[in-house]
Amino acid sequence: MKIRRLSAAVAVAASGALLFSACTSPAGSDDPAEGDSTATSAAADGPCKADLGDVATADGEIKVSVEDEFLGYNSNTPETYSTYNSAVTDRLFSNFWYFGDDGSICTDESYGTYEAVSEDPLQVEYTLNDEAVWSDGTPVTYADYVLDWAAQAITEDGKVTEDGTETPLFNHISGLTLGDYVPEGPQADSPDAKTFTYDYETVYADWKIQISSPFPAHVVAEQAGVSTEELVAAIQDLDMGVLKKAAEFWNEGWLSQPGQVPDPALTPVTGPYNFKADGWQAGQYITLEANEQYWGTPAATKELTFRFVAADAQIQALANGDLDAINPNGPTVDTVQQLEQLGDAVTVESSPTLTWEHLDFNFGSGIFSDSLEAREAFALCVPRQKIVDDLIQPIDPEAVVMNAREVFPFQENYEDVVSQSYDGRYDEVDLDAAKEKFEAAGLEEGTKVRIGYAAPNPRRAAEVEAIKSSCDQVGFDVEDSAAEDFFDKDLPNGDYEVALFAWAGSGQIASGQNIYATDQPQNYGKYSDETVDEAWKTLAGTTDEAVHAEQVVVIEKQLWDTLFGIPLFAHPGVIASSSSVENVRPTAAQSGIVWNAEQWARAS
Amino acid sequence: MLKFILRRIGVSALVLLGASFLMFILVINSGDPLKDLRESNAQNREQLMAQRAELLRLDDNPFERYWDWLTGVAGCFTGSCDLGVTINGVDVLGLTQQAAASSLRLITLATLLAIVVGVALGILTAIRQYSGFDYVVTFSAFLFFSLPVFWAATLLKEFAAIQYNNWIAVGQYAPTTIVVAALVVGFVLQAVLGGTRRRRLVTGVGAFAFVAVVLFVFNALDWWRNPTFGLGGVLLVSAAAGVLVTALVAGLRNRRVLYAALTTSVVGTVAYLAFAPLLVNQPSWLLLAGLFVLTLLVSAGIGAAWGGFARRQAMLVTGITGVITSILVVADILIANWSSFLGIKSRPISTIGSQTPNFTGDFWEQVLDMGTQILLPTVLLTLVSVATHSRYTRSSMLETLNQDYVRTARSKGLSEREVIVKHAFRNALIPITTIVAFDFAALIGGAVITEQVFGWKGMGALFQDGLNAVDPAPVMAFFLVTGIAAVVMNLVADLAYAALDPRIRR
Repeated sequence: MKIRRLSAAVAVAASGALLFSACTSPAGSDDPAEGDSTATSAAADGPCKADLGDVATADGEIKVSVEDEFLGYNSNTPETYSTYNSAVTDRLFSNFWYFGDDGSICTDESYGTYEAVSEDPLQVEYTLNDEAVWSDGTPVTYADYVLDWAAQAITEDGKVTEDGTETPLFNHISGLTLGDYVPEGPQADSPDAKTFTYDYETVYADWKIQISSPFPAHVVAEQAGVSTEELVAAIQDLDMGVLKKAAEFWNEGWLSQPGQVPDPALTPVTGPYNFKADGWQAGQYITLEANEQYWGTPAATKELTFRFVAADAQIQALANGDLDAINPNGPTVDTVQQLEQLGDAVTVESSPTLTWEHLDFNFGSGIFSDSLEAREAFALCVPRQKIVDDLIQPIDPEAVVMNAREVFPFQENYEDVVSQSYDGRYDEVDLDAAKEKFEAAGLEEGTKVRIGYAAPNPRRAAEVEAIKSSCDQVGFDVEDSAAEDFFDKDLPNGDYEVALFAWAGSGQIASGQNIYATDQPQNYGKYSDETVDEAWKTLAGTTDEAVHAEQVVVIEKQLWDTLFGIPLFAHPGVIASSSSVENVRPTAAQSGIVWNAEQWARAS
Repeated sequence: MLKFILRRIGVSALVLLGASFLMFILVINSGDPLKDLRESNAQNREQLMAQRAELLRLDDNPFERYWDWLTGVAGCFTGSCDLGVTINGVDVLGLTQQAAASSLRLITLATLLAIVVGVALGILTAIRQYSGFDYVVTFSAFLFFSLPVFWAATLLKEFAAIQYNNWIAVGQYAPTTIVVAALVVGFVLQAVLGGTRRRRLVTGVGAFAFVAVVLFVFNALDWWRNPTFGLGGVLLVSAAAGVLVTALVAGLRNRRVLYAALTTSVVGTVAYLAFAPLLVNQPSWLLLAGLFVLTLLVSAGIGAAWGGFARRQAMLVTGITGVITSILVVADILIANWSSFLGIKSRPISTIGSQTPNFTGDFWEQVLDMGTQILLPTVLLTLVSVATHSRYTRSSMLETLNQDYVRTARSKGLSEREVIVKHAFRNALIPITTIVAFDFAALIGGAVITEQVFGWKGMGALFQDGLNAVDPAPVMAFFLVTGIAAVVMNLVADLAYAALDPRIRR
């Protein structure tokens, strides 16, 4: 879950959603259930999963949609890494932490605990619960984490990575980043230790979410023909004879041909759910069943079925009971209307997600690159409130204009950060002020402004339309320069004045450095500001949360003052679930509706 | 002839080869396979891009890549097929087999139904040209043909699945519904059967009364939730079918054929009684297939025994009657299982999927489950393709009906049945074979939109997903299968044409 992706997929999903806009009977129920919260037996308190108390697994099946085929047990290869695959595999593995419904970090103490024992140099100690076991009975231990580290640290020629750029031995989605941060690997007394420590080479702000669920070392060891202890020793001694075999199995042994449930002996799990024998039909569905060996709060419902359904077909499937919970990708006004017509039978909830839309200026070339006044003139004429009112509120009535980049309106510290960094001057369109700035910048009437975005995207086209009708009055000549290969060509080449796209927030603290600091890979507009660079360096180089909070304000303020760009809104998300299912909760994080699937229960 | 076939195959192979090369080049240039990675901000983005480039061999010469794909395909002739892997690392050969099986299952029934219904409608409308019935069918044909599939699917799901499932929970028709349904049936029937005004009136009123009474009785019996058909029903309908088939093929005056058909019905019903314990207790697809073959043999035997001078006609009639009887037998068992099926699956018609996940029922309940799952896509596909078939058949039939030899046949005093079935229909079928052959070729190609809206992953999905990811392996697998199917069916159509129409034989 460390990857942030632009949500270009929204366009595809949105146009797909248009397809079924034509139908369903117009005479729907007049009292939309939108906004209703699910009847939780224990109300959620804060962003983390609710404490449901004693849960006994009830017989039954809950069906949820994912939009693509399941690919395999190992979601960590570049081939199999996708939100759809993770939706399934995240149910199979426990982890020390997970993202709460506002993107904040929650811990799972039934699995284990972790804390930074030293802040500088950063040392993090992890302690696994003594009861934590794989579903085949083998305890989860240090050995599993050594293998997890090795898969993200060892290069093809049998060394620990120097800077993360070598060819890795294991085909891991995160490459060699962990080895780069923690060159020594986790340290413990013995392979079966339950406590171990990571010594970070440099202080790393996002240490809390750096370590993810491991794969079973005992299975890999057996496949490599050695004992678990020998595998741990081989990793520590970089014994390539063993490591090559281990890597071969790690890379390929956990991939599946659709429909063939993997051998339980090779795929033990640590999560509340496990594979169900014969529970996978290629192209149709995969069913998980409650893991009997799970030591924590058990799954509330015995079977959880993921049906592979395109977004277009989900709403009617929900209405017909073929699905119990849906999370349509890229919801539109029609999605919400259709769901509301289903009346009391379904519970609909709209909420913002961690993906947010923004306009970025091009600092590399063009009229905005060296003129703050020009940028101000543009910012003053962009009808942000109108865009949110017209395009987003029909989906999520609570939607607001976003006034920050690193914090979201639904997060606790948002008000705080915004009040200190932004005075509200671009909240309303002010054409007179814009004209003044326009003249002050020495721009000529009819100055061309190309707004680039990835086509096709009806919503962004509407946004550009709104901007054009407002900003053309100031003297700009706004041009919709959408292109299918916008990210491939126009953006890297700088062939735009303003770029319109979205970032998918990851819950990481320091990932914004890639976007706003000088010469970073995601800084497409070639923005450069010393204050911002400095603040990011301070932020990324400490684990102190007070410093993080303080630096975020500095960064936001500077980005507003120099007008890096204009944040617009957080993308709305919609979930809907059958009223007979309890505890379905929306989340802003990328894990989607299934993030608390083990708590879903059929109302009795 | 052999030379002709060989030449055709040789030419087709060359065409396929050229087309596959073109397709390969088009696919690998259809987009940017690294698009999602370019938009990613993973720390090891460059590594991921390099990894994908290696997997898809983006840096290699396209000719080299094509050649390697071709060698993999050539391996199919020596038993070591290699169609490559997808961008997700899944073996394409296995994927293609699954997709083809899924598509075949989805579309076979729809195609067969479309052909039968379409041809029948085409003939009926041609015979009753410019009648009210003809106009209605023509109108509906164009309507269905121009329906956007996704939209029609949405309507179908709303009314045939969601509303039906709500209704079947109670299973009672309201009196107004019954009256309206009966009126519609009565009206349609009189329009189809035609005749003088008086005859139409009798037909319409009769049909109206019959349907209304039956529906009220069904309501009273709670038939829709606990339906029965029974041995008597099987016998009655099968005998009626026998008579109808005889009337069409041989004419009712040919008593031998008529008796042969009726014997088949009786034997079929008796056989049902005899095999009932086996069918109820140890059902399997193998058993069904075996019994079906037995049915054909026995029916043919009956036809041969009764036939006399009309042996071929009799065997045809008994064969068709036998097939209809066996369908009725299966239908009867399924109907008997309906109420227990409703107990397991309270909302029987699904909007998505080819089967209910983790369905736990016995054999017949599973058959019912598959049937209810496939129902909506089949109806949709049938409606759309019936239009084509009925229009083609109608025009082809009209053309033959206006031929001199038909007029000759009439003038020498043949009955209208003989003129239509023997002289006109047979010749009208010749151009239809081409269309039907192509339909079968399209069958394996899947139905992209239908698959998507009904949540099936077939050939259409294979093609679409592959193209979206700019991943040549699955797209080429799709091309291979559909291309070969098209070529083979084209050949079959030509051969069939030659066999049917002596005029083009050389």
